[in-house]
Amino acid sequence: MNGLIEITGLTKAYDARNIAVNNITLTLPKGKIIGLLGPNGSGKTTLIKMMNGLLTPTQGSIRINGREIGVETKAHVAYLPDRTYLAGNQRIEEILEYFCDFYADFSREKAVEMLKNLNIAPDAKMGILSKGTKEKVQLILVMSRKADLYILDEPIAGVDPAARDYILRTIINNYNPDATVLISTHLIGDIEQVLDEVIFMRYGHLVLYTSVDNIREQHGKSVDAYFREVFAC
Amino acid sequence: MLGKLIKHEWKSTYKVGCLLLFAVVLITFMGWLAFQSPMWHNGGYRVTILDILSIVTIIMYVLLLIGVVYGVMIYVAVHFYRTMYTDQGYLIHTLPVTKHQILCSKILVSGLWMLFIGIGMTISVMMLFSSLIAAVMPAGYTLPEAWGEIWGTFGELSEFILYEFDLDILRSFVVLLICMLISPFTTVTILFGAISAGQFFTKVRVLMAIVCYIGILIVNNIFSSIAQNILILQASFGNYMDISTILNTIINIMIAVGLYVVSWLVISKKLNMQ
Repeated sequence: MNGLIEITGLTKAYDARNIAVNNITLTLPKGKIIGLLGPNGSGKTTLIKMMNGLLTPTQGSIRINGREIGVETKAHVAYLPDRTYLAGNQRIEEILEYFCDFYADFSREKAVEMLKNLNIAPDAKMGILSKGTKEKVQLILVMSRKADLYILDEPIAGVDPAARDYILRTIINNYNPDATVLISTHLIGDIEQVLDEVIFMRYGHLVLYTSVDNIREQHGKSVDAYFREVFAC
Repeated sequence: MLGKLIKHEWKSTYKVGCLLLFAVVLITFMGWLAFQSPMWHNGGYRVTILDILSIVTIIMYVLLLIGVVYGVMIYVAVHFYRTMYTDQGYLIHTLPVTKHQILCSKILVSGLWMLFIGIGMTISVMMLFSSLIAAVMPAGYTLPEAWGEIWGTFGELSEFILYEFDLDILRSFVVLLICMLISPFTTVTILFGAISAGQFFTKVRVLMAIVCYIGILIVNNIFSSIAQNILILQASFGNYMDISTILNTIINIMIAVGLYVVSWLVISKKLNMQ
């Protein structure tokens, strides 16, 4: 076992005609920032949900640190979904307590520090925060953990450019250096500079898994330009 | 981890739970007010607007109390659905806890709230009955004296019932009490199982959960009716009452166990968060 994530023959079919992820086999290493890239509907979120146990695969398996998805893997995976999943009536400090209780690797001090830097009051209720601020709070919760694997689903979609910069800075400055960060996005230009490796997906298939340096050396293009070439309509 | 799950489940439900208990208190006060009408105290030779209000208030009392029962059931069902199968479910399903721990914490806390509401309603009905006695008891009686007399009559009546119908009131009361303590937990387990069964469908999952729940209630009633019909031919009235109560509880427990397994299967083998 060399990889942090080992995906074997993974398929998710909602019905016979709707196959979201189609027979993917992939091994992802430790200590890398990996972009999971593809157009809308390419199966990125489905793959991520299966890694977090939110979707049951139709076929195949996923192992993280050699273990099947379960209690052990969830203790070591920090996941940022592509939606607001915190109840509107919860105060941020209550959510911090929640994370402290369930995640041994969660640092309350780090979270409070990041909230303070953004002028977000810990006693504020989630329901009164703007969409961008909610996303920042969720990102802070994830990045305050010292996880082995960070899975970030569309962390910069739907926020303004200033917020994007903040989110990317937060990811780069706060992740555990020994960990792997898997970032799903279709806004490649914004995150290209932080990526070590990329995965291209289309129609549920794995199109490409390679290093960013490899794309630049072999194709003489940026990841963004190469992506546009591969996925040209 | 189970303790932590219970703690957070309690924290996320206690406000609505306390609100419903407070509603029971208010409804009880309303019921007490109804018996303060002159009609109850002096025979009511002439019907006044206060007497009509009193009757309307008692009807309202009954309806509101029924409303609280359905209110708590709807609340625990909606809370379970929202925290398990909508966006909020992303939080609980990515926690490093087992599926059994998740289900047990939810069943325990929701069951406790239903139990508390049930106890609150029982106290409310007893207090209203006490108000009725206080309103209609003859002049010169005190409430403890009236209760003492009722209790004495009840004792004589229970001996008569035991002799005539082979029904031990005390034993039946204990059986009923135990079954009533179990009932909130089986009720929520069945409710949660029906909601989870709705997840087997790709579309209209909430509607299918309601359909499943109605189906389960029908099946439950069929089993209970069959059991009671068999029982009524073979037991004395007293035994029939007790065994019927126990049998209904056993059927409920069996259905609850089956639906617990359904919930567990859905969240551990068939989870498809949209």
